[in-house]
Amino acid sequence: MADLIQLVTNGLALGSVYALAAIGFVIVYSATGVVNFAAGQFVMLGTFAGVTTLVTLGLPMPVGYAGAVALMALFGLLFYAAVYLPLSRSPVVTIIIGTVAIGITLQNAALLTFGSWPVRLTSPVEDMIVEVAGAVIPLHAIAVVVATAVLIGLLWLLLNKTALGIAMRAVAQDVRAAKLMGLRVNVLLAFTWVLAAVLAGIAGLMLGPMWFADVNMGDPIALKAFAATIIGGFGSLPGAIAGGLFVGLAEVLGASYISSAYKDLIAFGAMILFLLVRPQGVFGERIQDRG
Amino acid sequence: MRSSLPLVAVLLLAGFVLSFTASEYTLRLLNMAVIASVAVVGLNFAFGYAGLISLGHAAFVGLGAYTLAILTTQAGWSPWLAAIPAILGTGLVAAALGYPLLRLKGHYLALATLGLNVSFSIVAANWIEVTGGTNGIARIPGLSILGHDLKDERSFLWFGLAVLAVLSVLALAIHGSRIGRAMMAVRDDETAAAMTGINVTGVSVSAFALSAIYAAVAGCLFATHVHFVSPDDFSYAHSITHLAMLIVGGEATVAGAIIGATLLTFLPEWFRIFGDGYLAFFGLMMLAILVFLPTGIMGLLRRWRRAPRPGTAPHGAARS
Repeated sequence: MADLIQLVTNGLALGSVYALAAIGFVIVYSATGVVNFAAGQFVMLGTFAGVTTLVTLGLPMPVGYAGAVALMALFGLLFYAAVYLPLSRSPVVTIIIGTVAIGITLQNAALLTFGSWPVRLTSPVEDMIVEVAGAVIPLHAIAVVVATAVLIGLLWLLLNKTALGIAMRAVAQDVRAAKLMGLRVNVLLAFTWVLAAVLAGIAGLMLGPMWFADVNMGDPIALKAFAATIIGGFGSLPGAIAGGLFVGLAEVLGASYISSAYKDLIAFGAMILFLLVRPQGVFGERIQDRG
Repeated sequence: MRSSLPLVAVLLLAGFVLSFTASEYTLRLLNMAVIASVAVVGLNFAFGYAGLISLGHAAFVGLGAYTLAILTTQAGWSPWLAAIPAILGTGLVAAALGYPLLRLKGHYLALATLGLNVSFSIVAANWIEVTGGTNGIARIPGLSILGHDLKDERSFLWFGLAVLAVLSVLALAIHGSRIGRAMMAVRDDETAAAMTGINVTGVSVSAFALSAIYAAVAGCLFATHVHFVSPDDFSYAHSITHLAMLIVGGEATVAGAIIGATLLTFLPEWFRIFGDGYLAFFGLMMLAILVFLPTGIMGLLRRWRRAPRPGTAPHGAARS
């Protein structure tokens, strides 16, 4: 029982990171129709933004985290201007290859800047543990789950209760109509990319202390985020959360109870099964709406 | 669409001429380019003709390569004999997977095939008794023709070019045939194609299986050229590279597939002068091609041929 509590907590913490990465991916997809294959590199850059501010510059925790998030916001804006705008009118497959190309560039630029040696990013609650019913749980895992829940709450408020969020959803629903209603579509799309980059960045900051910061961490995270999105439902925010938690739990529980070698096959097997049986996922969009 | 047969012939001939002058290192790269070309000409059936976005092509290359590797090293078959089940088996697997998978469209199909490729890599890396795990399978025997071993890079290149020539001509023949036109009809408008009596599922599955068969041929060439296979050689990153080759080459043509495959095989090597992280420049270059040359190199060639600059000789315009 103690083992199970420990595994479930760790699975939920990992799942929260996947969920945030998947949310970043989904809000971009809903607003722009772009399937962002560089999404994993966004998370990797988030971790290394933290490495830059906290380890390299040695800034105090709150300033360092704020600085890292600000860097990611800037990166999102840059990505919007330099990658999204030039590619926005291309066919789906060109956008897929384009985001893959820029992902390769980001990964190797990070390799040039930070080297191939993994770095340790410490947590503000480093080495602190909590005991629940005999289970030893790192406080960081709990903090990650709580922080993710708070972020999701804030995101819900933003999208449903503020003029900005409602305008963003209008753009996601129908760009032409939004433009006719006098919304500044370009500003809103830019903000969508900034928001996606910030969410992915926070996921990276939370992942840093769980894994080592490594410039090659982007691809595995992207694959898990894709699996989470398909399982939860493409384009659905609750789906991204449920899918992310499922993938995280499947990974941690599968590794411990089934096989550590085949742990990833559970998530991808589930993804392929969903694609075949229920491609719209658990909460998904109606599939005939998209091409 | 204009047949690209003359251009394909020129490209293959250029490869043949280069085989006499190129250094050992360039010959090796040319062999890699030919193997990639076979795979990408195959991918052109699925993506170029039938419009199926596949991010799992490398898994079929890997299935072919692994089947040949296992049959030759563990069952002691000759590589020629082992190539037959490797190629046909891969085609059958693709057809069996295609029936359920190809109902998906666009990025759903892209992610499903991506998942397939990742699953292939996981199995190849962990089914140690059969695949050797991450250590891969070494000492795969090479090919020999009439007692002449294709051991050196030059003779392998000649053989590779011959295979590529045969497969290219076949691809061009299919392009002009009823089934090829049916694939393109399905790509352009599925409903209209179905209305004219085309069996949409059957045509899509054929295109997918045909592309997997070409992939398996590329896999067999790879295994007998490198004499070694490991899961990394067939990761989904290679699938993305294959698709990128097709798009950089452009316009869903056989010649474009060969040009794209060759260019993207050599491009990273040219960027090695930038040292570590040279792939950063490769990614930027690829993005630049996608943004500035949306129809790829072939589109560029065509524009250059169709629109002579004002002031050039008028008979030049008349000829094109």
